[in-house]
Amino acid sequence: MKDKLTPRNIILCVVICSLPWILFGIDEISRLLTDQYRISFGWPGAGYILRIIIRACLYMLLAIGLNVVCGFTGLLDLGYVAFYLIGGYTAGILMSLLGVHYVIALPLAVMHATAWGLLRGIPTLRLTGDYFAIVTFGFAELFFRIVKNETWLTGGVPNGQLRGVPAPTIPFTSISFDLNWHHYYHIIILLVIVVFVTYRLQNSRVGRAWVAIREDEQAAESMGINVGRYKSLAFAVSAAIGGIGGAFLAQFQVSFSAQFFEFWESIFILCMVVLGGMGSIRGAMLGAVILGSLGEILRLTLTNYPKIAGSRMLLFGIILVLLMRFRPSGLMYKKS
Amino acid sequence: MWAQYFEQLINGLVQGGIYALIAVGYTMVYGIIQLINFAHGEIYMFGAYFGLILITVFKIPFWFALPLAMLLCALLGMLIDYVAYRPLRNAPRLSALITAIGISIALQNLARMFWTAEPRVYPTDSLPSIFVSGINDMGEVINVIPLPGGGTLPYRDVFILLIAVALMIILNLLIYYTRIGKAMRACAQNATAANLMGINANRVILATFAVGSALGAVAGVMVGLSENVTPTMGYYKGVAAFAAAVLGGIGSVTGAIVGGLLIGIAEAFGADLHSGYRIAFAYIIMMLVILIRPTGLFGKATSKRA
Repeated sequence: MKDKLTPRNIILCVVICSLPWILFGIDEISRLLTDQYRISFGWPGAGYILRIIIRACLYMLLAIGLNVVCGFTGLLDLGYVAFYLIGGYTAGILMSLLGVHYVIALPLAVMHATAWGLLRGIPTLRLTGDYFAIVTFGFAELFFRIVKNETWLTGGVPNGQLRGVPAPTIPFTSISFDLNWHHYYHIIILLVIVVFVTYRLQNSRVGRAWVAIREDEQAAESMGINVGRYKSLAFAVSAAIGGIGGAFLAQFQVSFSAQFFEFWESIFILCMVVLGGMGSIRGAMLGAVILGSLGEILRLTLTNYPKIAGSRMLLFGIILVLLMRFRPSGLMYKKS
Repeated sequence: MWAQYFEQLINGLVQGGIYALIAVGYTMVYGIIQLINFAHGEIYMFGAYFGLILITVFKIPFWFALPLAMLLCALLGMLIDYVAYRPLRNAPRLSALITAIGISIALQNLARMFWTAEPRVYPTDSLPSIFVSGINDMGEVINVIPLPGGGTLPYRDVFILLIAVALMIILNLLIYYTRIGKAMRACAQNATAANLMGINANRVILATFAVGSALGAVAGVMVGLSENVTPTMGYYKGVAAFAAAVLGGIGSVTGAIVGGLLIGIAEAFGADLHSGYRIAFAYIIMMLVILIRPTGLFGKATSKRA
């Protein structure tokens, strides 16, 4: 890998690492201004902004995971939320109902999600195009119904609600990571690991095999690529990343219900991948930042205009249409 | 036991007729431009609202409100194609899919703005009294066909099923015996070649959207007669209808009809077994069919995806 220690990247790195403190600083300045000079510039508070950023980071993680199947191998996955759900509920149930520590619950959640990713691969390997898409959708919908209906699994509360997922702690101490800036560094670390792994995979023999499968499955097969194995690997990697996202969500959200994992969520993540440009990790991240925070940004800006505040999602839909109208190949599309 | 199954089967057929009406819209559009028109569920939802508004606000009798709602939805479908999908004809397929999702979100929230999220119902007198089942002075259930085993089938459901069957026959006549139907089939086979033969593909696509949306509107009005009308109603039925279209082999109208009926019956039996999983059974049937026959029941082997 080439040396990437350019000044721009170093500055970016420093900003990412110190972001919570910058936000807390703005918090202080804002408080000072209102207290001393009665000036308010409508700062919504560092905690709120930080939560939006954490959410956007979580979506980045998921978008990267979905990008492995959708972008690299070119299969339309409409049920990615299934792995997010499996990760979330595995970690959530282990931590809240069985009292397992996060350090153990996270890998178990990831393994569980990966196992289902591989299992789903067995019947769907030979499907292509929209038939693959609809089977993945059905798969996700089944999991959604299961956590919604099987209340014995989730502690007896209807709608698959899981309450009181404890925050991760340092073993044998009472120090727990439950503040917003804890979550921020937590998701950044997970994100860095995932980006690193997928980036290395993309630029390896495996990544080239995936792209070959995407471009022409038969040609790839005749070149000696074991299509089934590489597809399965893509499913597994993608599912594992979804599992990480789910496990993070469980301890970040503390209590969550089946509604978090509706079909709409899969579509939302897919929109991020397509918006950024299929097959590009940066694109997926950019798409996730835009769509993951667009809803909240619209909410913030529209509070001053109560007349159209109710049409937030309407604007969201229109923006989606316009973005696709003018950048149909995604924002980060590279001509190859 | 068997009587109960028979009743579920009949209920499933009624539901399936509605699914078939919606699924046809998905499959026709897909057959020509290979687009999963996610906004179709919302068109169906608008159909239900149009019917409701025409009947309650404009006091139009049902028999005129239904064709008017069809017309309005056909216009809406054509507008969507003209504004949103036409500019993306040569763009990657997934971009058009995202556009469809964007339109779907926008329409759903538009409906919420116009009519609020509150569930609404069609007035009971919107249909002639013969179709309203109830209990008369003698304590007998009226306007129903008794089924063996004590179950009943309201005339309304028979009416829904008959309308669905009639529309399906008309649709088949349209596709196989008219000029525009011939053009649609030509475009579905090979749009470029059809274009070279002097068929205006854009006009054919507009007509396809119009026909599909009009059928969606009928489904919306029919569902409105027996269920709540809400801005989110399009999502649930829309996705299930799409599953029906894929199950039958997407692109095939016959497949969409058979798929719709199958999904409806699977849902009815599923609801009987466990109400929380009613639609899940439909999806299981769909997945099994696709896994055994990867191109759906009536589908031809499709070309590679973009």
